[in-house]
Amino acid sequence: MAVLKVTDLHARYSAKGPEILKGISFEVEENDFFAIIGPSGAGKSTLIRCINRLVEPTSGSIVFDGQEVTTLRRVELRRLRRDIGMIFQEFNLVNRMSVMDNVLSGRLGYTSNLRTLFRAFPREDIDHALSLLDRVGLIDHVDKRADQLSGGQRQRVGIARALMQDPKLMLLDEPTSALDPKISREVMELIKEMAQELKVPCLCNIHDVKLATECCNKIIGLQDGVTMFSGLTGDMNEEKLGEIYAMEVL
Amino acid sequence: MSNRMAAFGGPGKKKLEWRRFRYPESLVSYAGWLIAFTVVVFSIEYLNIPLDRILGMLGRMGDILADRYYPPDIEYIMDMDYFGYVVETIQMAYLGALFGLIITIPIAWFASFNMTPSRRFVYPVARLFGMSCRAVHETIWAILFVSILGFGMLPGVLALTLFSAGFAAKLFAEEIERIDMGPVEAMRSTGANLFQIMLFGVWPQVRVAFTGIAIYTWDVAFRAATVVGFFGAGGMGWYLKRNVLQIETERVAAIILSIIVLVIISEALSAWARRAVMKMK
Ligand SMILES: Nc1ncnc2c1ncn2[C@@H]1O[C@H](COP(=O)(O)OP(=O)(O)O)[C@@H](O)[C@H]1O
Ligand SMILES: [Mg+2]
Repeated sequence: MAVLKVTDLHARYSAKGPEILKGISFEVEENDFFAIIGPSGAGKSTLIRCINRLVEPTSGSIVFDGQEVTTLRRVELRRLRRDIGMIFQEFNLVNRMSVMDNVLSGRLGYTSNLRTLFRAFPREDIDHALSLLDRVGLIDHVDKRADQLSGGQRQRVGIARALMQDPKLMLLDEPTSALDPKISREVMELIKEMAQELKVPCLCNIHDVKLATECCNKIIGLQDGVTMFSGLTGDMNEEKLGEIYAMEVL
Repeated sequence: MSNRMAAFGGPGKKKLEWRRFRYPESLVSYAGWLIAFTVVVFSIEYLNIPLDRILGMLGRMGDILADRYYPPDIEYIMDMDYFGYVVETIQMAYLGALFGLIITIPIAWFASFNMTPSRRFVYPVARLFGMSCRAVHETIWAILFVSILGFGMLPGVLALTLFSAGFAAKLFAEEIERIDMGPVEAMRSTGANLFQIMLFGVWPQVRVAFTGIAIYTWDVAFRAATVVGFFGAGGMGWYLKRNVLQIETERVAAIILSIIVLVIISEALSAWARRAVMKMK
C-alpha cells in the first residue's frame, strides 16, 4: 500500500494570485526514495509543503498513512506532522541554540508544555538524540551553538532533528543545494543510508538532475506546476530531461 | 548603437532605460517638501515668534536662577528622610518596570504579526492595549490611579507598570517581527504547538534583544518615577512638590540637581549594561 497518495493537487498562495500547482498526482510507496525535479520556480517547494500543510492546498487529496490530510483540524494536523520529518535547504536551525537542543526540538510534538518550558526532555529522548548525533558524526559538537558549525554539519543536525521524530515519511526540500558539490554528495549519501536503515520512505526535491538519477528510484518532473514526467529513474532519458528544463535554458 | 549594446539588445529589442526621476512619484515627493517648508514659514509668521525676546528671556532666566535658586541647599538633601524617598523612587521604578516587562512578553507576542495566535482577533486587541498604554502620559496614569487608590507607592507602581508595558511591548513586538522564520517553520513541521514554537524557535532569537529592552525600560521607568510623586504617587516627586508649594527655592534647586545626577547615573549604567549584553550575542 502506498504510504502517501497525492491526487489532483492544486495550490495557490492567494485567491487572485497565479495557480502554482495545477493538478499533481503521484504515489510514494514503502522503501521509495522519490525525487521531484524541475527548474526553480516550478513549484517543488510548494508541493512538498502541501504534504504537511505548511502551505494549504486549494483542492485535491493527500492521503498519508491511510488518513486524508487536507481536511484535518488543527490538533489532528499537529499529530500528523509528528509522523513526517522535514529537512530544509537553508537548514532552518535556531542559530543561538545548542546542537543538542536543536535536535531535541524534533521531539516537541511528543513533549508537554511544562516539559518544554524547563527543557526537561525524557531520558530516552536524550539518549536517542545522542545516538543520532553519533551516527551523523557530530558527537563532539553536542554542546556547540548551531552557528558555530559548517554548512555540512548544520545539515547533519537538520537530519538528526528530523529523525528524532521517528518519522514514517521524510520530506526533503533541496537538502543539499546550499552546500558545495563534495559535501552535497556526502550529505545525500548519509540521508539515503539512514533512510534505508530506518526504513523511512523519502520525498525529495532536487534541482540537480544527476544527483537525482543517482540516488532515487522514482522521479516526477515538474514544470510550471504541471507534471512533465513521472516514472522510474531507469525510464528517464536525455530527451525528457531536455523537455523539463527547456524553460530554464531559454 | 555601439557593438557592446548590440550584443545584448540587438536590433528591434526595446531600448533599456533608467532614470532617478520617476513620474509621478518624484513630483509628489518634491511637492511634499515644498508644503512642509511653507508650513514651517507660515507657523513662524502666525505665532509671531519674537526671536529677540526669546534670547532676552534666557538672560532673565539666568538672573532668576542665580538669584533665587543658588546656592542649592545641598545639606537639606543629605538627610536620611530624603534618602528614604530616593530609595522609594528606585523601588517604584524597579517594580513598575518588572511588572511592565512581565506583561510585555504576552502582549508583544500577541501583537507581533508573524507569531500572534490570531491575526483577526488577538492581534488588534493586543495592539490596541499597547497603544492605549502609550497614548496616556505617565503622569496622567499617576493622577488616575491616585484618584482611585489614594496617595502612596501603589498607584505609582501601577502607573509605571502601564508606562513600561506600553514602551517595551512595542519594541519587543518589532523584535519578534524581525526574526528568521525558517526555524519557526521547521518546528511547526515537527508538530510543535505555538507555545512550544515560541519557547524553542522564537525566544532564543530574541532573548538578547529582550534583555536590552528590559534595561532600557528600567532606565525610562526611573526617569518617569522621579515625577509621578508630584501627583501623590510616591517617591521624590512628592518632596519636590512640597518644597515648590512652600517656595523653598534653594531646596527645590537641590532636589532637581539630585534628580539630574541620579538620572545621568542610571542612564550611564544602562548604556553600559546594554552594551555588555549586546556583546553576548
Ligand atoms: N510564500 C509565497 N507567496 C507567494 N508566492 C510564492 C510563495 N512561495 C513561492 N511562491 C511562488 O510560487 C512559485 C513556485 O515556487 P516554489 O514552490 O518555491 O518553486 P521551487 O521550489 O520549484 O523553486 C514561484 O513562482 C514563487 O514565486
Ligand atoms: Mg524551492
